[in-house]
Amino acid sequence: MVKILLVCSAGMSTSMLVKRMQDAALEEGFQAEIQAVAESEATKINDISILMLGPQVRYLKSKFKSLEDSGIPVTVIDTVKYGTMNGKAVLADAKALLKI
Amino acid sequence: MNQFFSLIEEKFVPFFAKVGSQKHLAAVRDGFISLVPLAIAGSFAVLLNQLPIDAYKNFMGSVFGDSWTSFGGNIWWGTFAIISIFLSFTVSYFLAKSYNANGLSAGLISLSSFFILMPQVNPDGAWGNIHWGYTNAMGMFVAIIVSLISTELFVKLSKADFLVIKMPEGVPPAVSRSFAALFPGMIVLAVASLVMILFTSFETNLFSVVVKYVAMPLTNVADSLGSALLIVFMTHFLWFFGLHGSNIIGGVVEPILLPLLTKNMELVEAGKSAFSSDLHVVTKPFLDAFVYLGGAGTTLALLIAILAVSKRKQLREVGKLGVAPGLFNINEPVIFGMPIVLNPVLFVPFILAPLVLTIVAYTAISLGLVPHTIAMIPWTTPPVIGGALATGSWQGGVLAAFNLVLAIVIYIPFIFIADRSELKKENA
Repeated sequence: MVKILLVCSAGMSTSMLVKRMQDAALEEGFQAEIQAVAESEATKINDISILMLGPQVRYLKSKFKSLEDSGIPVTVIDTVKYGTMNGKAVLADAKALLKI
Repeated sequence: MNQFFSLIEEKFVPFFAKVGSQKHLAAVRDGFISLVPLAIAGSFAVLLNQLPIDAYKNFMGSVFGDSWTSFGGNIWWGTFAIISIFLSFTVSYFLAKSYNANGLSAGLISLSSFFILMPQVNPDGAWGNIHWGYTNAMGMFVAIIVSLISTELFVKLSKADFLVIKMPEGVPPAVSRSFAALFPGMIVLAVASLVMILFTSFETNLFSVVVKYVAMPLTNVADSLGSALLIVFMTHFLWFFGLHGSNIIGGVVEPILLPLLTKNMELVEAGKSAFSSDLHVVTKPFLDAFVYLGGAGTTLALLIAILAVSKRKQLREVGKLGVAPGLFNINEPVIFGMPIVLNPVLFVPFILAPLVLTIVAYTAISLGLVPHTIAMIPWTTPPVIGGALATGSWQGGVLAAFNLVLAIVIYIPFIFIADRSELKKENA
């Protein structure tokens, strides 16, 4: 199962996006577990397929370097897609990075 | 203008990105954030005791007797009066976690060090009797310093192989984990105890030194219009570049602002009026309730301004999408969707409106028109309701509503300008 984790400051605005990504995944019949957490809760993460950062916390990318080194993609969500809460497009980006 | 923005994007943004991901500042910020639920519970307890309505006070007194305030008082005692104790654990926990070390062990060792360094107040010199003047907000800076240093030491020592007791195969992992922290922890506590002896030999203690040279000067500087404007400016300047402003400066701002609020609570608990000028104006709920209406940039006002005057369909769409989260002060869809980020037209009102609101709110409270903030509110509390709750008064709600209208007025001309320049582009 593909597990997509979104991270932002308090996990509030990314949770809005998660809802829309879930809807998009359901529509496409794509099986995925999509979640949002606050930055402070994102300390020990394993067992995820991809980590996506909200653009407002893009400076945290270095914090997840070890994750990246282990081959899990860490990416910053595109600002326009984020601002318009375009779940479909963000999900497509995640799939592209995961080469699905 | 664009060159100016790209210059800042290249020079300043990387610097603040570093500040935002700095381990110690992040640990302090997250340590504070994890106390927010307790702070809110304590705030409502204080509000319950302090509602400035005589009929309410008389009613409570006649139903529950003269000691009716002890219900709220107990909760205040369990939260704000001992808030530094929690902090000495939480900051250390998050710092250790950021090093991938054991947060629980580090937190407990930090908590223990905090108590080791706390002066005994029993007059005959015997053990016991902790003074809450050391565990309330006045002790916060000591808690932060102790947790950062003790955790650094603990994490470094835990990585030294010769100090970690190795268990033979077959010993349950939980048992070996409990031993792993043993020697490093003992050394940290020994250092704390030696530091305490050192301070005692100079007939002083860490708490009074830190309060005198760190906490008091910072508090005095922090409670001013200038520092409020600086905090508001920095937050919005960073947001303009799409960086989470409050998150980045939180590690510095939270420890400075929280003591001001707790001081206000202590003063009203002791019977002072919330209008009294002995209270502090600038607190975290001051900013949340009167400035960040709808989120940073008072964007709820921007949304209302758009829906009121903009003729552009795309803009109105963003406006509609943003209103529901905006009522709870969540505004990333607006900041990135408009976008406000790197938008030269909106740069001015996005920074100007919050600065003006800060000046208005500061003035209204200083003049005694509106009571001081005496309660922590969740930052997601809808505007206007937040103003009333934070001050425990209807005047607070009126001030927030006034500020919201003022911000709408500031935004409207810029919506016209943005509309016109966009329409010109479309026609060209």
